Amino acid sequence: MRLQLISPRLLGAALGVFVIATTVARAGAQPSGSGAAQAPPSADATTSPSPSLLTEHFSASYGQYADTDHVFVETPSISGTVSSPTAGWSVGGEYLVDVVSAASVDIVSTASRRWNEVRQEGNVVASYKPRAFGVQASGSVSDEPDYLSWSAGGAVTQDLLDKNLTWTLGYAHGHDVAGRTGTTFSVFSRVVDRNAFNAALTLVLSPTTVGSLIGDAILENGDPSKPYRYIPLFAPGMSVPRGASVGLVNALRVSARPLEQLPLSRQRYALSARVAHRFHGATLRLDERLYADSWAMAATTTDAELLFDAGRRVELGPHARLHAQTAVSFWQRAYTFGLGFDYPALRTGDRELGPLVNLTGGWTLRIGLGGDANQSSWVLGFDLNATSTQYLDDLYVTSRVSVLGGATLETDL
Amino acid sequence: MRRLLFFVSLVALPLFSTACAHVASYERGSLAHPTMTTSDLASPSEAHVRAVQEGAVGGGGAGGGGCGCN
Repeated sequence: MRLQLISPRLLGAALGVFVIATTVARAGAQPSGSGAAQAPPSADATTSPSPSLLTEHFSASYGQYADTDHVFVETPSISGTVSSPTAGWSVGGEYLVDVVSAASVDIVSTASRRWNEVRQEGNVVASYKPRAFGVQASGSVSDEPDYLSWSAGGAVTQDLLDKNLTWTLGYAHGHDVAGRTGTTFSVFSRVVDRNAFNAALTLVLSPTTVGSLIGDAILENGDPSKPYRYIPLFAPGMSVPRGASVGLVNALRVSARPLEQLPLSRQRYALSARVAHRFHGATLRLDERLYADSWAMAATTTDAELLFDAGRRVELGPHARLHAQTAVSFWQRAYTFGLGFDYPALRTGDRELGPLVNLTGGWTLRIGLGGDANQSSWVLGFDLNATSTQYLDDLYVTSRVSVLGGATLETDL
Repeated sequence: MRRLLFFVSLVALPLFSTACAHVASYERGSLAHPTMTTSDLASPSEAHVRAVQEGAVGGGGAGGGGCGCN
């Protein structure tokens, strides 16, 4: 496995934008402008600067992913939020780029060359919550050469019982268009529409514990089948072992290789609980998600993170995540053709639709770089996670190890 | 349906069995710590990797918190 070093060009560009953004924001926060940024007039306004009513938060991050299936991804991103805690409004945005380079076994099995691709994603979110009741609107766009996705949504929230209980209801609509590289969407495209409903309850359980219960229902309509994914077919009764190599599969399969075909609708449901508990000098965060969908996949995801305060400026701790899922109902390791050489109506080669177990372990480190009065005004963070995936009933591969590293620089102005 | 109810109970009961205590604003110093948010703390790249490596989705969004701030 090759773990690439940080690309100086991409990191430099991200940091450059970050520095410019913080400089502009700091200039904009001075009490000389108009509108919400203007400080209230006071008797001594001419002798000392008035405090800004705005808070600004900016961050720049860089992530790098590599795995044993020869997939490499670099992800620089920047984000910023401007908010008025007194007026209750907030506006934020994020922009990221995924630079993907892949020569996975799926690509090799179709005799294709390594491919490189760039994906860009931007999203904005605005919220207004002057008192106990609040609203939020959000939107995002993701673009790559053969895929365009956008979504827009909103949410309402209300604090009850002196902010000991908060409920949230949200809805978002997403629209995905998948095509083929080098072919316009008007010539070939597949569309998936997505309606996502979200409901959450957050409860203060004690002076040191807070918990959330989150329900999601996502209704998808359209054809999500990948236009590049060809499925090997075998004669009835053919035995193909788990993890069979590309060479063995090519030797055993028949010549016909139909494209993947997935069902044209999917209803997905998730129920999650999240608890955060503050000890003396440490925070424990626990998540549990249970998932089921209309394709008969069931999954459980458990996430735990313990963050220690190692001194006034340093916070660090371990992170672990376990994800296990069953296969969708139409999953087969080796699809066979029927008596009339007809293909199975539903077929897939997507390993993330098969049975698998993911085990992730990692560490987080955050260092406060601000002055003594506010160490967290500048924070440098590092994350490193390694994931071992066991594919329980797949062709080509039986396991994968991936590493994700990231660095983040954040500032509050 | 029975299976769904079982799953709901499995997640909800441990959380709600602790009961919702009334915590006054002046008692919320620990809840104001940045790590005590009910939002997902995953970075953009980490969230994207999860979305690709796991067949399941959802569970990211939760509003509010305990700190008593806006």
